[in-house]
Parts: sequence; C-alpha cells; structure tokens
Amino acid sequence: MRATRTLALAATGALALSACGGGDSVDTGNGGGGGGGAGTLIAAVSAQPDQFDPHVTTAYPSFQVLENVYDTLVVPNAEDLTFEPSLAESWETSEDGLTWTFALRDDVTFHDGSEFDSADVVYSYNRIIDEELSNSFRFQNVESVEADGPQTVVIRLTQPTPNLLERIGSFKGMAILPENAAEELDLTTEANGTGPFRLESSDASSTELTAFEDYWGGAPSIDGVEFRYITEPAAALTALQNGEVQWTDNVPPQQIESLADDDSVELQTTPSVDYWYMAMNFGRPPFDNRDVRRAISFAIDREAVAEAAWFGAAQPNQTAIPEDSFFHSDYAPFEPDPDQARQLLEQAGVQTPLTMGLMVTDEFPETVTAAQVIASQLEPIGIDVNIETLDFATWLDRQGQGDFDAFYLGWLGNLDPAAYYQEQHQTDGPNNYQGYSNPEVDQLLQQGSTETDEDARKEIYDQAARIIVDDVSYLYLYNPDVVQAWAPDLQGYQLRADKAINFENVELP
Amino acid sequence: MTGQPLPEPAASPTATDAGVPSTSRPPRPRWRETLGLLLRNPTAAGSALVLLGIVLMAIFDESIAPSGANQISVEDRLQAPSWEHPFGTDDLGRDILSRVILGAGVSLRVGFLAVGIALLIGTVIGLLAGYYGRWVDDVLMRFMDMLFAFPAVLLAIAILAVRGPGSGNTALAIGIVYVPIFARVTRASVLGVREEVYVRASRSVGASDLRLLTRHVLPNAAPPIIVQTSISLAFAVLAEAALSFLGLGTQPPNPSWGLMLAEGRGYIDLAWWLAFFPGMAIFLTVLCFNLLGDGLRDVLDPRQRTLMAGGGR
Repeated sequence: MRATRTLALAATGALALSACGGGDSVDTGNGGGGGGGAGTLIAAVSAQPDQFDPHVTTAYPSFQVLENVYDTLVVPNAEDLTFEPSLAESWETSEDGLTWTFALRDDVTFHDGSEFDSADVVYSYNRIIDEELSNSFRFQNVESVEADGPQTVVIRLTQPTPNLLERIGSFKGMAILPENAAEELDLTTEANGTGPFRLESSDASSTELTAFEDYWGGAPSIDGVEFRYITEPAAALTALQNGEVQWTDNVPPQQIESLADDDSVELQTTPSVDYWYMAMNFGRPPFDNRDVRRAISFAIDREAVAEAAWFGAAQPNQTAIPEDSFFHSDYAPFEPDPDQARQLLEQAGVQTPLTMGLMVTDEFPETVTAAQVIASQLEPIGIDVNIETLDFATWLDRQGQGDFDAFYLGWLGNLDPAAYYQEQHQTDGPNNYQGYSNPEVDQLLQQGSTETDEDARKEIYDQAARIIVDDVSYLYLYNPDVVQAWAPDLQGYQLRADKAINFENVELP
Repeated sequence: MTGQPLPEPAASPTATDAGVPSTSRPPRPRWRETLGLLLRNPTAAGSALVLLGIVLMAIFDESIAPSGANQISVEDRLQAPSWEHPFGTDDLGRDILSRVILGAGVSLRVGFLAVGIALLIGTVIGLLAGYYGRWVDDVLMRFMDMLFAFPAVLLAIAILAVRGPGSGNTALAIGIVYVPIFARVTRASVLGVREEVYVRASRSVGASDLRLLTRHVLPNAAPPIIVQTSISLAFAVLAEAALSFLGLGTQPPNPSWGLMLAEGRGYIDLAWWLAFFPGMAIFLTVLCFNLLGDGLRDVLDPRQRTLMAGGGR
C-alpha cells in the first residue's frame, strides 16, 4: 500500500480556495449552479487531483476521481472488503499456488468504444512492471503475465502469494488501461477506462465526469459527477447544508456530533482501514535505544491524542490493524505511565531534558494537533518536543533522507496484513524510513506473505506485530473513522471503510 | 557634500517645516513639554496607557498567566468563558486567557524587533541619502524603490520561504520589508534640515560630517521618524499576525495571536471565543499604536504644537 493514499488527503495550502468556496455559496443557493445538468451530482472534495494516470499518481484526490473512471480485475466489496469479481468473472489457483488463471468478462467496452480483452490486462500490468511505476512492488512475486486467448489471463508467481487479489485489486492504482494507452493518450490529463463515468474535463476549480451509457454494469442513473474542490472543511459543510453540493468527505471532525441531529445532512461514519503513527529515527541517538522509545511509548496517552485529533471519531490502537478486521490483534502493552517512562529513560542513561524534533505537515492538520498533545505528554518525563511544521514536499524529502528525530503520519487504505506491516518494518523495506531491522520480524513477515492458511497467517502477523510494538518501530496511535456526509435525498451511496468514493449506483431525486 | 550654498530666499521655502523661522538656535523638541502635551490629548494618553498595560503584560507574562501556554487537557476542551477560564478554552483544552497573555510577548517582541531593524537600517540609509545627495542618494533610494515595489506581505512570505518559518525570521522579514519606509521618511526629513542655517553654520566652523549628522541633522529630522515608528509598530504586529495566520510566523504550539486566530477559525460557529479574544487583542494593540502615532504627530508638528500649547494656557 506504498505511498498510495498517504499522499495528499487534503491540500490545505491555499486559503484563497476556501474563500472561493464560501463566496460561491452566496450566489448559487439551491439547485447546484456552476456546472452540469439537473442530474449531475456535485461532490465537494478537499483537493485537486495531481494527475489522472492511475499507474503513476499516488494522491488520494486523484483516486477519488479515478475510482469512477477505471476498473480493476477484482474489487473489494463495500461491506467487508473481501474481493469480488469485476473485470475478471472468476479465477482459479493452481495446486502449488504459483499459477492464477483469470477468466475475463466478454461484454466490456472502453469509453472510446473499443473492446476489452486479455491483451489490455497484459499491457497494463507489464506497463507497471517494466516502467517500475508506483505500484511495481505489488508484482514482486510475479514471474509473468500472459494472455491465453482473448478471455483469459494467466499470472505466474515465483512463490505462493495469498494476497494476490489485494495486490491487483485493492484500488484503482492497478487499473486496466486499453492496450497502448500510454502511447495514444496523455494519461496525465486524459482517460479511457471501462468504469461507469468518463473523464470529461478538469481545471483548477473542479473535475467533471459524464455517465458512460455502455458501462458493463449498466449505465448510471445520474448524468454525471462534478468534483468541486473546497479546501476549508467548514466551507464544504456550509455548501452541503445550502444544497450547493450533494456530497462531501471534507467534514470538520468537531462538527460530527452536532451533525447527527441535523436533518439537512445525512452523516455516516464507519471505522476505516487507516492508521496514524509516530516513528523515531533508529539512526539517531538516543532514539536508537529501545528503552528510550519504550519510555516515550509509555508516556503517551493514546486516548487523549485520538480524542484531540478526531473528537471521538477515532479508536486508540497500539497495533496497526483496526478492531473490525479479522487480522486485528488486541496486544496493548503500553498503559500511560509517566513513572515507568522516567525509569526507562534513567535506565537508558539519557540526560534530560532531551530535545526531540517532531516533523509534522500542515497538509494533514491532525498531525499538527496530535503533535501538540504528544509534546505536552512528553514534557513531564523530561523530553522537550520541538514541533516542526513543514509543507508536505519538504516533509517527504526529509523523511526520504532520514533527516528527522521523529515524524508523525498515517497509512491509509490498507486491506491486507502485509500492507500494514511488510514495507514499513522489513529490513530495508521501501517504506522503512525509521531504519528498523529485526531478523525475527523479517522472517515472520516473509512467512506471512506466503502462508495460504488464514488462521496460520493471522498467528504469524500477530507475532510480528507484537515484536514491532515492543521494539516501538512504529508507535501506533489510533484508527480514525471514515466520515462522509451527503444530502438526505441522495440515494444509493455506500460508505466504504477503504474510503473509495464510488458514485456508480447513486440516484438523485 | 556640495559646498554650494543656496541663495538665502530659496532655502527657507524648501524646508519641510516652512513655518518655523530659521533661527540660529535649533528648535529642538523639549521632551518633557512634548510628553505633557501628548498626555493632555485624551485619546493619545488612553492609548499610551493601554499599550503600557500590554507591554507590562508581555514582560510579566509568566507570572500573570493563570496557567501555562501549552497546558493541554483534552477533557476540558471548548469550554465557554467562565470564572475558571475567563476567555474559555480552545480545542485542546488550553486556557485562552493565558495564551492571549503569553501571546502578547510573542507579538510585541516580533513587532519591536522588526521595527527596530527597519528603524536602524532605514534611518541610516535615509540619513546618508538625504545628507549626501547625488549618486549616494540615487543608488540607495533606487534600491529602496525596488524593495518598496514588492507588495509587503508577499516580500515577507518570500523571505520566510527562503529562511524558514519561525518568530525570529518573521521579525527579520517584516523588518526588511519596512526598511524603505523609514529610509524615505528619514530622507525627506533630512532634505529639509540639511540646509538650515544652524547646519550650515556648524559646517562653516569645521564640524565633521559625523558630528553634523548626529548632533544637528538627526535630532531635528527625528519627529517624523518617531511618528512612523509608532505607526509601523501597529503594522508590524498586524503583519506578524497575518504571517502566523498563514502558518509562516510563530509555530505551534507557541501562542501567537495570529496563530490562535487561524486555529480558531475552524470553530467559529461552534466556539466563537477561540478566535474572538486573540482577534480583540490584535485589534486593541494595533488601534492603540495608530492612535498614539496620531497623537505624536500632532505634538511633534511645530505648527500644531504652537496651537496646542497656546490653546492650553
């Protein structure tokens, strides 16, 4: 689940944008002015997509749009996020688990009218592998992707991969493009997918989609979708209450409680598959000392941090995987205990006051809030937290260079235990920026990624999680809820734990 | 310096304070009298009093504030003003009264530092440009024009983007932005003073440039600079608030009025007090510096001063 959706949940940079959002609500009032016909759904999102190439972008705002434009072979279903058919009708796994055969639908056309077949799948996957695009790590066990007739695709693996469906279907970063799409189209601004909507236009204020009449799942009942960017949560909410937009995921957490009684808004929440964490630099003393990290873990009251950042809409957790998941572990060794924390610091021979830089980004305001609470909790044990609020580009840069004492961020949209732990904690893993290395964990993660029995797999990841938590490779804090709101007369929308925004079945009055 | 004496009749009209007869004795402002006049103006006196209060608050912040600036208590968040928390609590349960008091120090420190930088550099540049004229004037003032051509806040943002956010850099950025203002005001004032009889007299008896500048030119060119200082303090406090609001100035968790305003704006329909009290603090401080500046201008302007002094007796 690499950098996928960690990037850019909300680009809160431009204040000017929010002003525009507020201004609009004055002129247009009811009836969704601005763009589109009567049957166009207007959705307020917090930020503009960076680009529309599904294999290249890692930004959540892009995937909010692409979810409705492209398809994958399989998709997580809305209820429990298990995988179900999409462009692939069915699939089989060989006895040894090394060959997966996918049977494709034969009634699918692309937005330009061309037929979908196995060559498109082979092209798309090989594009990701050959050009080493953002998601190429998802194919690390893949030996080959081949067509066996127009309706069959065979994927051969180097080792059993129980989570292959997650690897190829968890989000639209694994979208199927028509053969040679990259040569024929400018994929950063154009799209030719098989999804329910086609990409019509996109500018600095909104992205517009129109319904695709020949969609294999049946044409959508609405004429189109306009994604309008409203940065400021309060402005997005006002626009929804005024009827200027019909849907938003940009809800101020402090308003969740009061919106429950608001008849003008349908608000729903569900536990997400995201987690937020703090990581300390193993390459920088004294944070290379396990006792120091454990002291910090003992000093932090996760309950208070979650409450401060999410006003009750987040569940404190000491491991990564949320409670609703089959793979959840209830391991929770750290009770807030300042005395024990002080003792551990003493044991580590650390001189207090100790200064710790904590890198956060205003792109995700909850990191700034959480950091302030963490700072106030670490002060009594003699740690002076120096909060560094950076823009996200600088933040990522410094994370990549290992230029930090500690940082705070989240991983979003995780569907498989491997996605929660592997890339982040394996020695030299692609997202192991903290520099953690434990042979025992490496071995468990390797075992987990090839174990096909679900219960045995859970046992392996439980063990790995326990060591990761004890070593404080990541200091896990909480799993927030997905919070979205829409107009009460909007029908057929389903809130999803993976935060995929799908308007395929939505109906407007 | 051009030793070229201007014809006598032309000298007087070019002086800014044309109403003052050019006598051999410099019409130096007498400070005690000036202060007395100032305090007789109720608006200026009131403003000075409020500012004195704010400055004292900033100096003794730690001992006045009922609690620490970063005393977080999530269970006490968003409490309306009460006896326990006269200004209420913010989204992390911090006492807003304490943060407003502690924020005064941050705002004023940045304000004074910024104006101090601008005053020092700007006055020197203005003195040199005005006194020496010719190419010195051209080089220095064209450079000032260049700085002046940038929109003030934009220039400050650019400086902060290069140097990184934080209180110290904010003061530096605002200071640099205000240098041309002081340079211009000083130069204009010096142009008027340099041809005064007492300056020429002093030069004719062999006084050095340094002595002339410090003993005669600067003291007599000072009144407009003093007024400008007071008004600039108002704008500097405002600029610090604006930059902190944009996330470039003071960094959380440190309290600054602008930052508190930014943090409070998301709660404006839920908890108005988050933004209201820091907003009032900015408003009051800026207003008082402006009113004081107006008062100072009145008493330091010789014509006004004569009127006031005469009318008062």
